[in-house]
Amino acid sequence: MFWQQLVNGLTVGSTYSLIALGYTLIFGVLGIVNMAHGQIFIFGSLVGLILMTSMQMPLGVAFLASIVISALLGLVLEFAALRPLRKKNVPHLASLISTIGFAIIVEEAMNKLFGADSRAFPQSFGGKAFDLGIIQIRLVDLIILGIALILMFVLHFWIQKTKMGKAIRATAENTDTASLLGINTNMVIIVTVMLASALGGVAGILIGMAYSALIPTMGMTLGFKGLAVLILGGVGSIPGAMVCGVLLGVIEVFTVAYGDSSYRDAVAFGLIIVILLLKPEGLFGRKA
Amino acid sequence: MDLLNPYNLQVFTFILLNGILAISIYITLSTGQLSLGHAGFMSIGAFTASILSKQAEMPIFVAILIGGLAAGIIALLIGAPTLKLHGLYLAIATLGFGEVIRVIFLNLKVTNGALGLTGLKSIGNSLYDLEKAIGLQAQTLGISVVQMKSLTTMLFMVVLFAFVLFLTLRLNRSRLGRAFEAIKADETAARAMGLQVAYYKMLAFIIGSVLAGVCGGLYAHITTAITPDDFNYHKVVEILSFAVIGGSEVVWGPLFGALVLTSLPEVLRGLAEYKMLMYGLIMVGVMAFRPHGLIGTDTFQKLFRRRKGKTGNEAKEGM
Repeated sequence: MFWQQLVNGLTVGSTYSLIALGYTLIFGVLGIVNMAHGQIFIFGSLVGLILMTSMQMPLGVAFLASIVISALLGLVLEFAALRPLRKKNVPHLASLISTIGFAIIVEEAMNKLFGADSRAFPQSFGGKAFDLGIIQIRLVDLIILGIALILMFVLHFWIQKTKMGKAIRATAENTDTASLLGINTNMVIIVTVMLASALGGVAGILIGMAYSALIPTMGMTLGFKGLAVLILGGVGSIPGAMVCGVLLGVIEVFTVAYGDSSYRDAVAFGLIIVILLLKPEGLFGRKA
Repeated sequence: MDLLNPYNLQVFTFILLNGILAISIYITLSTGQLSLGHAGFMSIGAFTASILSKQAEMPIFVAILIGGLAAGIIALLIGAPTLKLHGLYLAIATLGFGEVIRVIFLNLKVTNGALGLTGLKSIGNSLYDLEKAIGLQAQTLGISVVQMKSLTTMLFMVVLFAFVLFLTLRLNRSRLGRAFEAIKADETAARAMGLQVAYYKMLAFIIGSVLAGVCGGLYAHITTAITPDDFNYHKVVEILSFAVIGGSEVVWGPLFGALVLTSLPEVLRGLAEYKMLMYGLIMVGVMAFRPHGLIGTDTFQKLFRRRKGKTGNEAKEGM
């Protein structure tokens, strides 16, 4: 039972990590919290899911569609809600408000386009389970864990070793200096926002696989969980987001298993409040 | 008497209620802090007041006040650790707090879960009982009892709103208001001037939360039925929109926002369905083109200057 729950927690948690990475990347480069992240990637994932259910496309196409649509929405976000605020001297909370506005627009668009109902995932894959003695692991859980872990390592490598990754780190350090040194910071920001949204797009499909359904309102609840991970791990810390996402998933699963399942969605924010009381800079953060 | 039909009166009542909510978010914003927990504080105020008035048979107005105080005490607990950090933490912590409160109320027995509380005492009824006691009957005024109740509710809200607005305007001119303004303008400079920044930020946060809690209690006893989902994230967005569209530099900004955003869906019926979409577009649009909101400190000065032809007192106060 315990080990089984742990595996479930790891699976769900790894998708939370991917979501939180989206927040962390954007925060790192732009210094803002993108409140529209959840809605953006659920929109993309829903498009992917609909392609799969109504057009019988394979899973790969769903992933691709989700990634592309989410990234494009990220691009729209950058031009509609983020770039106009960078040009002049605006209050520091303005970006928070405009991304909340963008989130509401995407959410309403989802309601009008796809309806508010939950959409089931096709059950054709992942039914097989491997018996590993103390635990049984479903194929779908393995796929989720595998994709999430691979993506995290690729991202880590990409940010640390490539030229673009270096540019992102430089922009995160100081936008003005980076731009003086010949880095096209606008380009870096666009790449970051699209990358963050695309990671969310992957996470959205993975979550659909894990829960075998997607609901438009998940954008908000999952977005909130990503935010919780962001605070838990320390704002702007990439390893923090990775570790704490998994941590949150595990804690949540154990709350449901050994506590009260109706408090599931309160766990994330309960943790935020506790962490703000005890270690406000987050588990992996630097002192503010 | 078309203007006096209960529906119109209810719309006016809600405009006034949202006006007080707008003031509550304005006060928090006036120190440059964004609280996304106003719906949560409303919820606490609403449920505390309802439980006290329904189960404990307390007089409504006492219950509403206690509801406001309860919201204030919770605000103290939430605010203490977060206010020392970057404003972002307060926004996320309060957002999370609102969700936690909603989930807790959805699961508690005493709040009746997702169904919420119904059959609460209404402000209209209690005030009408008072009026009857002093010999004021609906018949003598030539209107029906329902109209009379709605009318007294609205008049009560007018008085309360005027009172809160008066206090807010007094606050702005006071030592406290100037401290808030200084902190909003530049926190470091304010600290260098010897202001206890954390204390003032806390105070603004608590005043805003108490007001939100009182609004929750009022809301509960105007609609007479509440569910935890009445105070969800969309409510937060709604309250925030008031401050965003009008601007949060002067109190008239959020009030203008509350007036416009509450009455617009009523005037344009077709718009009601797209209410949330409208809020979203307003937030993105206003932030992109006029990030300080439509009404700023200079708006009235410009108006007065044009009318009077000289600056006089208005300009001095703006400095």
